Formats: sequence, structure tokens, C-alpha cells
Amino acid sequence: MSTRLNNLGRALSDNEEESEINLTPMLDVVFIMLIFFIVTASFLKEVGVDAQRPPSVTPDDTKSESITIRITSTNKILVDGRTVDPRAVSSLITRRKAENPDAPLAVLAGKRARTELVVGVIDAAREAGFRSEPIPISPLPE
Amino acid sequence: MSVRRNIMQAGDAEEAEEINLTPMLDVVFIMLIFFIVTASFIKEAGIDVDRPTAKTASKQQSASILIAISSNNEIWIDRKRVKPQGVRPAIDKLLAENPEGEVVIQADRESHAEPVLIVMEAARAAGVNNIAVSAEQQ
Repeated sequence: MSTRLNNLGRALSDNEEESEINLTPMLDVVFIMLIFFIVTASFLKEVGVDAQRPPSVTPDDTKSESITIRITSTNKILVDGRTVDPRAVSSLITRRKAENPDAPLAVLAGKRARTELVVGVIDAAREAGFRSEPIPISPLPE
Repeated sequence: MSVRRNIMQAGDAEEAEEINLTPMLDVVFIMLIFFIVTASFIKEAGIDVDRPTAKTASKQQSASILIAISSNNEIWIDRKRVKPQGVRPAIDKLLAENPEGEVVIQADRESHAEPVLIVMEAARAAGVNNIAVSAEQQ
């Protein structure tokens, strides 16, 4: 008697289970997709200094009061024709900017100038206050 | 009679034992959608470079086109080596996929200024507003 009732109870609960959709396979797929997207999510942190190439400005076009920094192919930094130590560039630009606050800045890089020096000069210029806009870099005519 | 009551109680207990998965499923779906949406389609350059250092280096928010220049002055875009003449078409192609993309030049500290200037010229000609040279925070 009791076994027959038990069977009845089981049959009833089986019926209920069948009407419910089994979510487990979908859950598996969703989890695998989730893990895939978490793993491939590349939260790229790129830091750098803004620079730009001005539209074909030859150094002759630049006004005489502009601060022109030349980086030669022999990796020398020239400001107003004088060789300057890379560490002194920032203070020199700061001084020139204090004398003439509206002076535009131009960086001219020689073909074989090392990127380290170019970025160093851009960094120095940004440190000296040219931060609002990208530093213009042009090739140095040789 | 008492037997039937016992069976009903057992059924109740079984239902209570099952965990309700719906809220977890909601959370998982929201996370899934978040990761799909934020999956930034950044075109990595494909080589690792030794970046120069800069004190004023700032985070580039929407950097999506990365162009690397190796220490022996090779230009790499989207995991492929590109000739100087091929830089402009490559940038055009990447810019078509991501019109708001900014260009970040990852130049090795030993590389020369010439390829950097070639890439800058090409990016400006392609209509990229924001160009940056990658640097390490000092």
C-alpha cells in the first residue's frame, strides 16, 4: 500500500520536472562565453605624450621669436644654434617661455635622431608648459 | 492518511532544496553583455618595444590604433611588418573600422626619428586628430 502511494508521488514529481526547462546546458555555455570574454578583455593602458606633425611648415616660415629645438642626426640638441645638454632643455624652454609667453614651439628632428631624445625634448617642452596642445615635430632639413 | 501527508511534506522539502538560479543567471547575463560590449577592438602592433621614459606622460583614453617601431626601424601595424609606403593604406583600413580611433606610436628608444615622422605624416594625412608617442611614466 505504501509503495503504491510512493510510486504515485514519484510520478507526480517527475511530471512537474518535465514541464520545467533544464537550464544547465545554457548556463554552461553562458559561463564559458563569460570566461572567454573576461580573459580576452584587454584593458589596454597606454601612456604617452601627444605630438603632431604640422602641415608642411618649413623652418623658414617659423617666426624669429619662436622657440626652435633641433635634434640632429648625430643626437645633439640645438637651441638657437647652441648645443644643449638633454637635462637642461626643460629649464631653457621655461626661461624662453617666461621671456616671451606667446612664442610658438617647433621641434625639428633629424632623420637619424634617436626617439629617446625626441621624446625627451617633447617631455621637456610639456614640462615647461606646452601642455595644452600637441608638440609639433617636423623633419630637420639636412 | 498519515502516509499521504508524509509524502507531501517530502515533496515540499525537495522543492525547497532546489536553489533558485534566476538571479544568478541575470547577473551572469549582465556581466556577459558588459564584457561583449567593452571588448575593445584594439589593433595591437604585434611587437614589444622598449619605450622611452617621460615625466609628463599621460594616459591615452581612446587609443585604438597602435603602431610600433622597432629598434631597427621596422614599422609594425596590426601584427604585420609594413613598409614606409604601406603605412597610409594600413592606417586608412584601421580607421575605416574605427573612425574615432587615435594613433599611438610605440617607438623603441633606439629607433630613429625618420620612421616616427613618416608614421605621423601618414596618420595626419589619413585624418587622425590625435597622435601620441608612447612613453613610460618616469
